[in-house]
Amino acid sequence: MMKKCLAITAVGFQQMFADPMYLIFTLALPLLLTWAMSFLPREAGVYEMALLGVLVMFVALNLLTSAGSILEEKQQGTWQRLRSSATPYRAIMAGYLLRFSLVAAVQALLLLLSGKLLFGAPWNQGYGELAVVLAVYIFAMTGLGLFLAGLFKTQGQVQAAATGIVLVGSMLGDIFFPMENPSTAIKFITAISPQSWAAHALKDILLQGAALASLVKPLLWMGGLGLLLLTAGLLRLKTEM
Amino acid sequence: MILEVKQLEKSFGARRAVAGINLLLNEGEVLGLLGPNGAGKTTTLAMIGGLLQPEAGSITIGGWDLQRHPLQAKALLGIVPQEPALYPQLSAAANLRFWGTMQGLQRSELNKAVAEALAVVGLTERARERVVNYSGGMKRRLNIAAGILHRPKLLIMDEPTVGVDPQSRNHIHETVKRLQCAGTAIIYTSHYVEEVEELCGRVLIMDAGKVVAAGTVAELLRAAGHAQELVIKVNRPHQAVLSRLTAIPGVREAVMVGQAFKLLTLKAEQVLPLAYEYLLSQGLQVSAIEIHKPNLESLFLKLTGKSLRDQ
Ligand SMILES: Nc1ncnc2c1ncn2[C@@H]1O[C@H](COP(=O)(O)OP(=O)(O)OP(=O)(O)O)[C@@H](O)[C@H]1O
Ligand SMILES: [Mg+2]
Repeated sequence: MMKKCLAITAVGFQQMFADPMYLIFTLALPLLLTWAMSFLPREAGVYEMALLGVLVMFVALNLLTSAGSILEEKQQGTWQRLRSSATPYRAIMAGYLLRFSLVAAVQALLLLLSGKLLFGAPWNQGYGELAVVLAVYIFAMTGLGLFLAGLFKTQGQVQAAATGIVLVGSMLGDIFFPMENPSTAIKFITAISPQSWAAHALKDILLQGAALASLVKPLLWMGGLGLLLLTAGLLRLKTEM
Repeated sequence: MILEVKQLEKSFGARRAVAGINLLLNEGEVLGLLGPNGAGKTTTLAMIGGLLQPEAGSITIGGWDLQRHPLQAKALLGIVPQEPALYPQLSAAANLRFWGTMQGLQRSELNKAVAEALAVVGLTERARERVVNYSGGMKRRLNIAAGILHRPKLLIMDEPTVGVDPQSRNHIHETVKRLQCAGTAIIYTSHYVEEVEELCGRVLIMDAGKVVAAGTVAELLRAAGHAQELVIKVNRPHQAVLSRLTAIPGVREAVMVGQAFKLLTLKAEQVLPLAYEYLLSQGLQVSAIEIHKPNLESLFLKLTGKSLRDQ
């Protein structure tokens, strides 16, 4: 069971690395934006916030697209072949989820490191808290991804929805630019956006050394949302061919 | 008994894709599943493969109920889907190693199983190449290799020879015969009566989700009677002409298939001149005339008034 799960993860990696567009999209593009953000004025945390904004945006887009690749596998028939093999559903899904979260974790790590080493971001504290918040955020976005994969029929639809959700959640999430007197609608979006919660929590940790005790609210919201969406997605993908 | 299917049913919305199918299959038996587009063949196979939840009925593979013991049942099963289901970016060998692992082969068995499956489908030489670079026929052969890797007791083949060149088709037929000799039970779906007559001991003919005829090829041919099938190819077939052809004395059934009219008759020698004369009088050009002895196609035509193939 463990062996099958790891084999699914490994085949997923091989598929991904065979596609240069995927690497450009998950690493080159956010690095370019991180570089661009380094020209922002270095005051009042604006620059740091923008870097973390780029990170949460691209980690989310990566996870949603990865989950959507299950729909490509359905079209290509490999999903059906997997499901008709003597492999339990939970081993199949564990294999996929392991790959998605590993890739997202490595991506986040590379973006944080390059921000610090290449572009002078002042990250030098709270690494443990950082890991916890990132893990919970990755969990939430994986849940959203599986939910979308269960909801839609094609990877194109998932990507359209993903772009919409992540752009709105980031741009209206009080991350890249401050808003004066935002409308109730915008306030609401900020209040529910996992991108906003994650970016602010990361900033509090890295710049002010915030402890987990002060981050219970974002952790609970992201964790709860993730659990709900993940469960819905898993149930739906199990029955929906 | 390797497979036992009872009263299987499945609807998509208001459409009853499978409306109460029963079938039994013994070790080493090849069962042909014939039927026109949309007859419900793939849907039936998807349920046997554990991919679709049946609405009613039961499926037992090697004594294991598919609902209650899916893993044990699926371990005996191999599938060859209608469209090749492979990872295009991986090599053929890597694909097979992966599918073998998923079917529970141990590391020690894997190399041998992969090599054997590749040899069976004649792809040993091209094993290191990525599947994207394969031709359509090669993909179909690899698709078969992925289905037989773990030596399943029951193999489901959904139209494995569609769009395949004659050479690959022969190869696939040989593979089926070899597997049968080794004791594998096979369900083989197809639109082509010739290959079903050649490969399958027993045949099930489906239409609109139901079995319309079942038996050995010999039994079914007897049921087809002595009616011959008259195929007349013309330049512009149309419906009005068809109804006049149906009215010719001695014509039992008539259908239009692609560029041809197919007439079922006991008296080809009487019907043919009348039909020919009529077609000419309508200004149609006749490009070919064939007379077939009774086959499964003519049985199907007789039973349903439809043709198995659209073209
Ligand atoms: N997922 C689905 N959703 C809705 N309708 C479906 C679905 N799958 C099959 N059908 C319908 O069920 C019927 C049977 O389809 P099926 O694919 O089983 O036919 P088939 O005998 O395999 O045909 P073909 O020879 O074209 O492969 C068809 O009318 C088809 O449109
Ligand atoms: Mg089909």
